Amino acid sequence: MKELVVRIGKPTPLTTIFTVPKELDSSLPAVLIFNSGVMHHIGTCRVSVTIARELAARGILSARFDFSGIGDSESRSGTKPFEESSVEEIKEVMDYLQDKKGIDQFIVYGLCSGADASYEIAKIEPRVVGMVQIDPYVYKVPAWYLYHYLPRLFDPGVWHRVYQKLTGRFTPTKRMREDVGEDFVEMPSYIRVFPPREDVAKGLQQAIDNDVAMYTILTAAVSYTVNRASQYRQSFKDVAFRDLLKVEYYPTLEHILTNPEYQKVIPNRICDWMEQRALQCKKERQPALAKAG
Amino acid sequence: MKPFFFGESAAPLYGVYHPPLVSPARKEAVLLCAPFGQEYMRSHRAYRQLALLLSKKGYPVLRFDYRGTGDSGLDPEQVTTEDWIQDIRVAAEELKHMSQASNLCLVGLRMGALLAAEAIKRHPDELNADRLVLWDPVLSGKDYVEEIRSTIGAIGPSPTNCIDQENTLHYNGFPMLATFREILNRYDLRSEIPGIRKLLHVVASETESSQALKRLWSQYASYAFALRECPGNWNFVDEFGGILLPQPVIQEIVNWITTGE
Repeated sequence: MKELVVRIGKPTPLTTIFTVPKELDSSLPAVLIFNSGVMHHIGTCRVSVTIARELAARGILSARFDFSGIGDSESRSGTKPFEESSVEEIKEVMDYLQDKKGIDQFIVYGLCSGADASYEIAKIEPRVVGMVQIDPYVYKVPAWYLYHYLPRLFDPGVWHRVYQKLTGRFTPTKRMREDVGEDFVEMPSYIRVFPPREDVAKGLQQAIDNDVAMYTILTAAVSYTVNRASQYRQSFKDVAFRDLLKVEYYPTLEHILTNPEYQKVIPNRICDWMEQRALQCKKERQPALAKAG
Repeated sequence: MKPFFFGESAAPLYGVYHPPLVSPARKEAVLLCAPFGQEYMRSHRAYRQLALLLSKKGYPVLRFDYRGTGDSGLDPEQVTTEDWIQDIRVAAEELKHMSQASNLCLVGLRMGALLAAEAIKRHPDELNADRLVLWDPVLSGKDYVEEIRSTIGAIGPSPTNCIDQENTLHYNGFPMLATFREILNRYDLRSEIPGIRKLLHVVASETESSQALKRLWSQYASYAFALRECPGNWNFVDEFGGILLPQPVIQEIVNWITTGE
């Protein structure tokens, strides 16, 4: 395995780390790993580095890069919203890899805003063959209420709190919080607003029609919307996912993957899925390549 | 800025070099020593900002990742702070080579301050650092580990923040092995740092430990203390990915480095 820093694009390049396997097979798709919020390209708790190195050990090249203005990439002039600039920048990295390494298929990966960027590119870019998202856009379905409230009906603690509330004896637990003036915090310029569900369903259908396979991981952070893995598919029941969607829900997994056990499990599961998808894509294109050859 | 890998090819270090943006370039280069764990994540932007401002004032600046952190080689389980002291030495050499600067100013944030001071104590001639900035410094390895333990005690242990069966301390997503802590425990800021001509101790809020250090060092003419009140909780993890950017402290460091030569 070798890691290289490449600056892609002009005049303001994007800082990109290529993790290259010992023997590069350019008929395998490469993996593109995106920023989450304003966190730089090592990813939350360095998980992006773990994934990149594990992929290289399995023979897959990956590129971790900072979108303009984030991490080690300088800001580009212009006022395009993140949804547009991120797509353009992802395409630049794809073009670079296609031009320099002959790789023309890609699996995209992102958490939170990185998941949103994955979705934006997957719905329009034919070179995308796979997408791994942690906490993507998801919408509440009626079953959520059932799984949320039913166990509470049999919980004496809940009834006790209801009684206290009704009798004015309830004091909410003080949550750990930090009062920081906005001047002292660098917030993501991209504020996450969930688009209308119908729009996302349409986008997902476009990606599926392009044969983009999807692996979706849901964490405790979205438990206010989802409390069973099956609800993801239910929330997009108008999308014909075929057999291209795999969803997992981890109710005790924190959004930024701070739990050490999950830091081992989740990257491994992601790499397993990516490797399988990469090999499948290679296999599917072999007859076509043989024909062309 | 110029990101690159340097050091030994088996476990390279990742660094970002900020060349001076005005000429003539200063003869002193600035090396930024990163803190640990989530504090490193949360301070990345502040270090980038500091490096940029200093490069605009004519200073060559290098920020880098220790082995087992960031983009550098190895995993956290494979390194100790002894390796990180060596990494500071290697980064200092690289910076001097790139910039042709004759001497160095080291800046360390939190555990980075402790490591910078320790590196100067161990390698005074090689580093040739004559100025040092301690930013919200950790007073000693022991204090730092104790601070983490008491925070975990206060919020209650969880799978994320705990000491596991192998005696590894996990805090906010980053591990500290028993051997790592054992070595870290030997470092202490409260002893003489040879060769330092000027030292800035800058904090975002006064604490018992900052007052203790101030009491100890204010007898030295080379010591300067600055309190620039602003949020300084480097370990806080929010839900939005916001990271800390304490402008008054950054500006204080830039002013001190620029005017205090």
